[in-house]
Amino acid sequence: MKRISLKWPLIISSSALAILIFVVPLYGATVYSFKGAAGKGHSWANYQWLVHQDGFYPALLTSLKLAVLAALFNLFLMVPTMVYLNLKGRKFKSIVDFLCILPLIIPVVSLAIGAQVAMPKFLQNTEYELVFFFVIIALPYTYRALDTSLQTVQLKTLVEASRSLGASWSTTIIRVIVPAIRSGITGAVFLTFALSIGEYTITSLLHWETFPTWTVVAGQQNILGAIAISVFSFVSAIALLTVIALFSKKGVERVEVDE
Amino acid sequence: MGVVEVRARIRSSSRNSGVLPLLPFFIFTGYFLLWPVLAVTIRSFKGNNNEWTLGNYRPILHTGPYLHAFITSLKLSLITGLIGSLLGAFFAYVIVKYAHGKFGAVIDSISAVFANSGGVPLAFMFVAAFGTEGIVTKLLKDFGWDIYAGHFTIFSFTGVVMVYSFFQVPLMVLVFKPAIAGLRKEWEEASINLGANSFTYWRRVGIPILIPSFVGAFFLLFAGGFSAYATARALTVGTVPLVPIIIGTLVDGNVVSDQTNLGDALAVGMIVVATIVMAGYIWAQRRAAKWRS
Repeated sequence: MKRISLKWPLIISSSALAILIFVVPLYGATVYSFKGAAGKGHSWANYQWLVHQDGFYPALLTSLKLAVLAALFNLFLMVPTMVYLNLKGRKFKSIVDFLCILPLIIPVVSLAIGAQVAMPKFLQNTEYELVFFFVIIALPYTYRALDTSLQTVQLKTLVEASRSLGASWSTTIIRVIVPAIRSGITGAVFLTFALSIGEYTITSLLHWETFPTWTVVAGQQNILGAIAISVFSFVSAIALLTVIALFSKKGVERVEVDE
Repeated sequence: MGVVEVRARIRSSSRNSGVLPLLPFFIFTGYFLLWPVLAVTIRSFKGNNNEWTLGNYRPILHTGPYLHAFITSLKLSLITGLIGSLLGAFFAYVIVKYAHGKFGAVIDSISAVFANSGGVPLAFMFVAAFGTEGIVTKLLKDFGWDIYAGHFTIFSFTGVVMVYSFFQVPLMVLVFKPAIAGLRKEWEEASINLGANSFTYWRRVGIPILIPSFVGAFFLLFAGGFSAYATARALTVGTVPLVPIIIGTLVDGNVVSDQTNLGDALAVGMIVVATIVMAGYIWAQRRAAKWRS
């Protein structure tokens, strides 16, 4: 029976479709963001407008600060939790698993309304309350990143070796486990950072000003500037997440080589 | 091994298999995740004078703007879920079949990036491309197709569908690729040996195996589209009535309702829908897992 090869028709049609869905909007936005004054010519004007706008640096700084704090907090909460879970707390795994999936199920808008109802005044009066919710939103991703890398290492063997050589628990975690799951930790940290820095829903519903909410307000005065910011944030996000992808790939390979 | 050492070991292991080391995690998620959800649920059953009532739910269940918003949100999630899952499944198939090695890895990370791209920037970028003065709009006009000749605007329901597809399609690729990659070569060979052609193989073997994974992925996309807020908010500024956006305007005090806790009821309504959808997802996942052993 002669079989017709679908290879090239499939590749060509899917490439055309991908160009239509992804490349065209990206191309359009990038070209638009370089529009000169009154829509004539090309220039960096919109990007420069952005930097000189009131509130640009404070908003960016707030976002960076909150994102760094969220990433750190996440690390201190989740690394010990996940290590313990994979080492001795297996019976709690299903409940932790469930709690970490919940942020995907509960719409962020509902969580934000709940936060307004439930959080005490002193916490609602400081922008640092956002840090906790950023960590919550990042939980599903952090959980998976850490769990995957913990499962690729021989956790029990590592711990037993380290403990029988006389290391304390804290030494074991810091000097043995953390280096072994570096790829998962890097992934978790960068993902939390990336999610936090772009978070809009909770931030705007709780009425705080960070870079994304500032962008929306600024965009109402100058759409060209807003588009420049958007292209800028989108390209940065792509760069950041590509770094994560490369890092975690490398990490996995490294662990395999070590074994 | 000395007795003391054994004892110490037993003591340390029994102490360590308790719940204590997990307490920080349970306290944290309890306070910042479960408690807000519980609090909003309780308050949604309270009236203006703090009395117990079902009144906040009445506007959602009767014809009116709030029921309409739920229907619009469900319609949006259904359409973008379908577009995303069908196109994404097609891409996933082509990628599994023809994109190997380095190129495959690059496509993987690009999908991961685009799947997480929903947000304010994406909305503005689509305005730049497809707005009235957009680059693509003008380009198409030069070719003789005025996309604004009819009812279309990027700020409409159709516009939101277009923008959502930008992250729904790659999300589907991410979620569905493992299922396609899990189809065993032997199954196809066995069917061919038994006299099936490629079409019969797909109709009788391939597609039936993939259906649970496909349905599961569709539910995931549906849930994501249903709760998305930032993109639609930045794009439409409320011209398309979606539940999350209506909740937002209620919270901002832009819309005054005579029921103070109506927003809470809407928020709980969203949780209910999302829970049903995710239950479907989990059910489909269990079905799909049957083949992966």
